Amino acid sequence: MSDKVNLGVLERQVSYSGEGISVRSLEDSIATEREAQNGKVEELKVLRERNVEIQKALADEVGKLRKFSDYLDGTATTGGFWAGFKEMLSYIPGLRNIAISKRSIEELLKQQYQISARRVKEAAEYVDTLKKSEQDLYKEIERINGKIIEMAKNEAVAVDYVLELKQLVDAIEQEKQTCEAGSVAFRDLEAKQDKARALLAQHSANLQLYSAAEDRYASLKDNTRKLVETIRNLGQDISQYTTAASIKLDMASAQIQAIGTAADASVVMLELKRSLDVMTESMNATTQFVSDTQVFFRRNLDSLVKELETFDETTTKLLDANIAESRKIEDERVAAAVAKAQAHKRSQSGTPAPTPGAS
Amino acid sequence: MSELVALHTQALREPVASRYLEGLGRALAASRINKSFPERRPLESTLQALRADSHEGLYESIYVDSRAGLPNLASFTRVLSDREVGLDAVGRMGSAEELAARQHEAEVFERLGRKRRYFELLRPLELAPVDQHRVLLRRHEPEQSRASFRVELTKLLSDGCYVRVVIELLQRASLWSHKLVQLDAAGEVAEGTEALRGMVYRFAAYDAETLFVRLHELEGVTVERVQRGVIGPALWAFSDGAEQHQVAEPGQDVLARAWTRQLAEPLPPGLQLVVSFASDTAAIDVRDELSNDPLSPLLSSSLTEQERARYRVLRERHAFKVFKDRKFVVSDALRPVVEGVCAAAGTKNLIYALPR
Repeated sequence: MSDKVNLGVLERQVSYSGEGISVRSLEDSIATEREAQNGKVEELKVLRERNVEIQKALADEVGKLRKFSDYLDGTATTGGFWAGFKEMLSYIPGLRNIAISKRSIEELLKQQYQISARRVKEAAEYVDTLKKSEQDLYKEIERINGKIIEMAKNEAVAVDYVLELKQLVDAIEQEKQTCEAGSVAFRDLEAKQDKARALLAQHSANLQLYSAAEDRYASLKDNTRKLVETIRNLGQDISQYTTAASIKLDMASAQIQAIGTAADASVVMLELKRSLDVMTESMNATTQFVSDTQVFFRRNLDSLVKELETFDETTTKLLDANIAESRKIEDERVAAAVAKAQAHKRSQSGTPAPTPGAS
Repeated sequence: MSELVALHTQALREPVASRYLEGLGRALAASRINKSFPERRPLESTLQALRADSHEGLYESIYVDSRAGLPNLASFTRVLSDREVGLDAVGRMGSAEELAARQHEAEVFERLGRKRRYFELLRPLELAPVDQHRVLLRRHEPEQSRASFRVELTKLLSDGCYVRVVIELLQRASLWSHKLVQLDAAGEVAEGTEALRGMVYRFAAYDAETLFVRLHELEGVTVERVQRGVIGPALWAFSDGAEQHQVAEPGQDVLARAWTRQLAEPLPPGLQLVVSFASDTAAIDVRDELSNDPLSPLLSSSLTEQERARYRVLRERHAFKVFKDRKFVVSDALRPVVEGVCAAAGTKNLIYALPR
């Protein structure tokens, strides 16, 4: 046998790193990786939806807070303060149908502030969850990279061995030409060639599997990298938004309280006004009554006076009789008094009492 | 200088913030406040939770009301919302061991570890509420159609002080009465109506007697006692070597003016602090009408002659008397300042030393 036929190739132990490969094991491995990736995609989907929800709620709530402040400082009251005030109250859950004097606006605004602050915190918490997810995916990429390198190395081993086997098959073919067909040497070569072909088939399949695996892992890695990028961007978006919202809330806390107190003071003033209105109403009614009465007397005084003069005849007679009787009694009293006085004077001067009938 | 960053809002960065919070916590512990004030322990927990050793550097600063010198709405809300959010978030973070094992992998794991410990610390704490209403039934006499209640409101006022209002009232059921408190079917659990909540809330910043008169004038309601306990303002200052930090808008009352004059002198090292704890009671069982509060005289003494006559008529209609008092917690160097203010007002006040 010539030196060209290196039969040592057939005996060489070719070792691939890892667990060995088959179509089944490759599919299983890729499926496992895909599952992990799908899990992250699903997680991302939930996070994204939740984030959209939170950001929308947050935007609404911060908007409401802004609107409260605009209405109360008078910059948004196209329909007048009252219309604005009522519209503002309609934003507050449960307040739409409640009389304004019942609830404290300051308290409601502070509750709204706390809800908003909680939303910001919830959203901000997702930033860390996303960062953790991002790190998990980087770790996954690292693992996939390890697989890709392993597959590439195994592919190289397979390539070398397949080439050597091919070379051996060709060399045996040439060697067979130098032997008599059907001879022992020929049959021996043929047996070696079959063995080489079998190994060639096996390692060619390995070569294809490792090559396919490398490509598929590389493609998985690309997708994972895109996922990481998406998660990172989402995290950055949420981070920017929550930082801005958080600063806004931190800066607005004193304003919220001032606005609430002002609104409550307005309600107290409205109550006072209502009370004053009632008082004014009473005063007006009384004044109106006095005024009406006065006008009535002014208009009717003459006739009232006239009416006072129009006593009926019987009453007039009775009055005349009373007066006549009174005068008579009075005259008698006077006469008695005069007589008494004259008697007294005489007794003092010693003058005798006049005889009855003397002048 | 800890600068003003928004309306009446002062930002205190670390480590200034923690130093201020630690001092305020000591003042609170020394104040010996009773139940007419906001509860001390929840407020202490809030101050503790705001400190850097609790949140382990998760926050860079806190916000303080620049007039009252106390943590403001944003700061109160921060710890409250952290605790609420933390209850859910801890479950998503992974275990403490897992986070510790991965802390060298990326910054996020180290931060999550700190956050987890902070959330765990907050979980059992009872924190100071921004607002809290409570109605307690004291006595129920169904045969007389009347019940007595104790109404409590704890509130962070818009002037930055922290107040508790306690009202004891008797309500008679009648056709014309304003129903302020509702009892459950068993007549055992009381709940304030929105009208009561709103009224007490709106009047919480006013004197006790204002609220007494306002409630007492309602048909079917007899008020026995209105008591207010106010924590703050806290006047504080200290130097960290490089610059001086102090309450930015201390106000214009006698104490604030004396404080401002004192700050013109070089400050001794350490936190310099004056914290007020004012109480104000209008009740039918107060024996003598008196104000022992050097910063808040009786209403009658600050009225004009014409107003006084009207006020006399109003008071004749309501059989209550007013008692006001104020105590202080002060750092040693500021004791003479507070003593001077009290002496000038002719009041004798409790002045506790700020423990070291």
